[in-house]
Amino acid sequence: MAELIGSILVLLGAVFHFSAGLGMLRMPDAYTRMQAGTKASTLGNALVLIGLACYHPGWTLKLLVLIYFVFMTNPVSSHALARAAHAIRIPMVQKADIDALRDAREQARGSA
Amino acid sequence: MQRIVIAAPLVLLGLVFTSLALNYAEPQSLRPLAESYVKLVPQELGAPNVITGILLTFRAFDTLGEVAVLFMVAASVGLVLGPAGSRSGVPPAEGREKPRPASDIVRSATQILVPLISIFAAYIIMNGHISAGGGFQGGAVIASGVLLLLLAHPEQRLDLQFLSITESLAGVLFVLVGVAGLFVAGGFLDNRVLPLGQFGAFFSAGAIPLLSVLLGIKVGCELSVILDRFRP
Repeated sequence: MAELIGSILVLLGAVFHFSAGLGMLRMPDAYTRMQAGTKASTLGNALVLIGLACYHPGWTLKLLVLIYFVFMTNPVSSHALARAAHAIRIPMVQKADIDALRDAREQARGSA
Repeated sequence: MQRIVIAAPLVLLGLVFTSLALNYAEPQSLRPLAESYVKLVPQELGAPNVITGILLTFRAFDTLGEVAVLFMVAASVGLVLGPAGSRSGVPPAEGREKPRPASDIVRSATQILVPLISIFAAYIIMNGHISAGGGFQGGAVIASGVLLLLLAHPEQRLDLQFLSITESLAGVLFVLVGVAGLFVAGGFLDNRVLPLGQFGAFFSAGAIPLLSVLLGIKVGCELSVILDRFRP
């Protein structure tokens, strides 16, 4: 039973990883690609590791530490990458006309 | 036409790999060389991890050469990129003089992650003779922590003098342990200069943990110097 649940979780994780890869290919600009890559792969990674924990209950603690590490690093790295892309003015896709970071900067400059 | 040109090599490669995969049979026994390694490393070197036993004793001379190659890479990267901040001929562009500060998220994440990364690096280095790990890998993990620090604090400068002194010291100690093997044990870089200890214990396998630590320090320093060279 535990093995079945573990397999289903690993398969679900693989589906999320696949969607991450698909997003990298299909998304129109750097920011949306980054978002697809990190969000889906963070969840996919966690699901795969939890599935592994169902297979090997003895590894649970180590796998939880791994999940914690991925949850810490993945969003931070994508945040840093996106900020760097924004700083060197990599253009956004035409349809997206909301740029919260630019607006916040202008507001800060206006009030200062 | 173009598609055929692309597709034909792909199909041929696919055929080659399919035949390889179909003809693959799991070898039933080890080859003679591998078998003697698998038998000798736990018996004579007292290290459960056969790979580390080979890397740091039977082929430790190779490992020393690899570290020397890494040192050459660090030196030549420095030669090509020049000392930081004084790229010849290119005047610093406007607004380029002060590096953009890192965001709060990156800085606070660094405070949490760098201790984690350092502990993990120490674990990898010190477990090289028991399970997976070793000096090279641990040194690379150390360098990744340094990279995170550089990203979070772009205005800070690394103390290159300290790094190069530490690295040279680690290298000299590595060679000294090797030379000690010439006099005390069976040859250059023999790990039996220190007592083998209990099989599988934390302090065991003779000089292998010591060599791992020295290797980790050396590789970490070298890669950190390389990272520092790539800064604007």
